[in-house]
Amino acid sequence: MTSTSAGSIDLASPRASGLRFTDRRKLFLVALALPAIVYVVLVAVWPLAQGIWYSFFDYNLLRGGGRRTFVGLDNYVALWADATARRAVINTFLFTFGAVTLEFAVGLGLALLLWRDGRFNRICLAFLLIPVTITPIVVGLIFRALLAVDYGFLGYYLAEWGISGPRGFLANPTAALPVMILIDVWEWTPLVALILLAGLKSLPTDILEAAAADGATALQRFRLVVLPLLLPTVFLALVLRVMDAFRVFDIIFVTTGGGPADATTSLMVYGVKQGLEFFNIGFASAIGNLTILCIALMCACFTLLIRRADVRANER
Amino acid sequence: MKARTRQIAFERTALIVILALYLMPVLWLVTTAYKPPREIFSSPPVFGFSPTLFNFERIFAMFDVWALLKSSLIISLGTTVLSLLLGVPAGYALARSKSRYAILVAYFFLAIRTVPIIATLIPFYLMMRDIGLLGTWWAVVMINTTLNCAFVTWMMFSYFRALPRDMEEAALTDGCTLWGSFYRVALPMVVPGIIASALFCIMFSWNDFLTPMFLTGPDTKPLSVALLAAFGTKDITWGTLGALAHFSTVPIVLMALFLNRYFVQGLTKGVQ
Repeated sequence: MTSTSAGSIDLASPRASGLRFTDRRKLFLVALALPAIVYVVLVAVWPLAQGIWYSFFDYNLLRGGGRRTFVGLDNYVALWADATARRAVINTFLFTFGAVTLEFAVGLGLALLLWRDGRFNRICLAFLLIPVTITPIVVGLIFRALLAVDYGFLGYYLAEWGISGPRGFLANPTAALPVMILIDVWEWTPLVALILLAGLKSLPTDILEAAAADGATALQRFRLVVLPLLLPTVFLALVLRVMDAFRVFDIIFVTTGGGPADATTSLMVYGVKQGLEFFNIGFASAIGNLTILCIALMCACFTLLIRRADVRANER
Repeated sequence: MKARTRQIAFERTALIVILALYLMPVLWLVTTAYKPPREIFSSPPVFGFSPTLFNFERIFAMFDVWALLKSSLIISLGTTVLSLLLGVPAGYALARSKSRYAILVAYFFLAIRTVPIIATLIPFYLMMRDIGLLGTWWAVVMINTTLNCAFVTWMMFSYFRALPRDMEEAALTDGCTLWGSFYRVALPMVVPGIIASALFCIMFSWNDFLTPMFLTGPDTKPLSVALLAAFGTKDITWGTLGALAHFSTVPIVLMALFLNRYFVQGLTKGVQ
C-alpha cells in the first residue's frame, strides 16, 4: 500500500490537533462508550444505590406522610422474621432449581432431536420458539384458563378424574408451585434447546467422526465426546436460565398472585406487592437487595464451577 | 443405510408429537377468540366450535385498541431506538479498546442485565413521581432502555470483537477518519447483529408488563397492561381476552417467524 501521499495518516505522527493518534483513538472510543455508561449509571446504578439506601429506613408512602426514619438493619431483621419472606426465598430457589433442571433435561433432548441439519428441523425449531416470543402475561392467562376447574381443557378433566382435587391445581398449596414450574418449562425449554443446539452445531465434526470410526456407540460418543465439549454451552444455558428464573414474576402474578397461602410467592412477587402495592418502600427495598445478593452469589458459584471445569478439561 | 432412514423417521415423529403437544395451548388461545361465550364456558369443555367474530367486536367496543397498540409501539420502538443509539457505539468502543478496563466495563453491562427489576423500579418510580414523569411513555422508555442498552452493548461487543480489525486499519491508513472507520467500515459488517439486537429490544419491551403497569397512566398504558386490567372486570370473558391477546402476541410471533435467522442469532449470540 502506498501511503506517502499528502492525505494519508502516519499512524504514529502528531496531527494538527496536537494529539498523538493513539490518544485521539482513545478519546474517540471513550466518546463512543461514554453516553451508554453515563446513561446506565444514571438510570440503573443510581436507583440501585437509592434502593440500598432506602432499605435502611422505615419508609412507607401510605403511612406518616411518607416520612423516612433511619432504622439501620431493622428491615433485614424483619425480613428474616417474616414468614412470607422466608417462604418466598424457599419458593424462589425451589422454582429456579426445578424449572432449570427440567428445562435443561428436556432442552437437551430436543436439541439432540433437532441436531441433524435440514429444512424439517429448521421449521420445527421456528415453531418451537413461539412460546419464547409470547407475552409472558398471556402465557399466564392461557394456563390459568386451561387449568380452570369448571371449563378449562386441562383443569376440568384433572378435577373430574380426581387428580387435582375438586378446586384445581392452582388452588392446591402443594401443587401450585410445581404447576408454576411446568408453565415456566413450557415457555423457556425451547430457548435452552436452541442454545444447546447452537453449541452442538459448533462442535468440531472431525472429532465426532473419529469417535464414530473408532466404533464408539452413540451413548459413549455422547457421554465421552459430545458432553465434555458442550460443557461451556451447557454452563451458558444454565447461567442464563438461573438468572431469569430467579426473577420470575409475570406468570405467578397472573395465575395465582402468589397464593394459595403464599405457596407460590416468589421474591419478585413479594417485593412488588410490598413496594408498589403497599408502598412499603424500606421493606420492599430490602427484598430487592436480598434478590440481588442471591443472584450475585449464584453468579459467583457459577464462575467458580466454570473455572474448575476449565482446569479439569485442560488437565486431561 | 436403512437404520439411518428409520432413525430419521423416528426423530421426525417424535418432533411432530412434541410440537403438537407444545403448541396446543397456543392453539387454544387462538381458537378461543373465535368462540361464542357459551361454548367457552361449557362444562365439560367442548372441542368443536362455531367460529364467530363476536369477541373481536366486543373488544373494539370495550377498549380503544388502536390507542393501546400505539402505546405498545411507542414504548417498544422508543426503547429500541434509544438502546441501539447508546449500545452499538459502546459495544464497538469496548471491543476495540486496548485498555484492560474495557472488559470490566463490558461485564458491568452484562451484570446490569441480571438486575431484578424490583430493585430499581421502586426508586425509579419515586424519581419519576418527583420530576412529574409518572404516567408518561418517557418513564417506561427510560427504564427499559437501561436493561436493553446493557444487553445491546454486550451483544454488539461480542459481534465487533469477532470482526477482524484489518479493514478498519486499512481504512485509517487510506485517510479515513476514526468516525468513518466505525460508521462506514465496521458498522455495515455487523448489520445482522444490529437487526438481532433490535428484534430483541422490541420483543422485550413489547412483552414487558411490570414496568408499564406502574409507570404508565390510563391514556398511556400498553396492551400488556390492558390485558390484565381487562381480566379484572366482570364482563370480560376468555374469548374477549383471547381476542385482545391476538394484538399483543401475533405481531411478535410473526416477526420472530419471518426474521427467524436473526431472531435465533440474537437468542444464541446475545447470551454468550
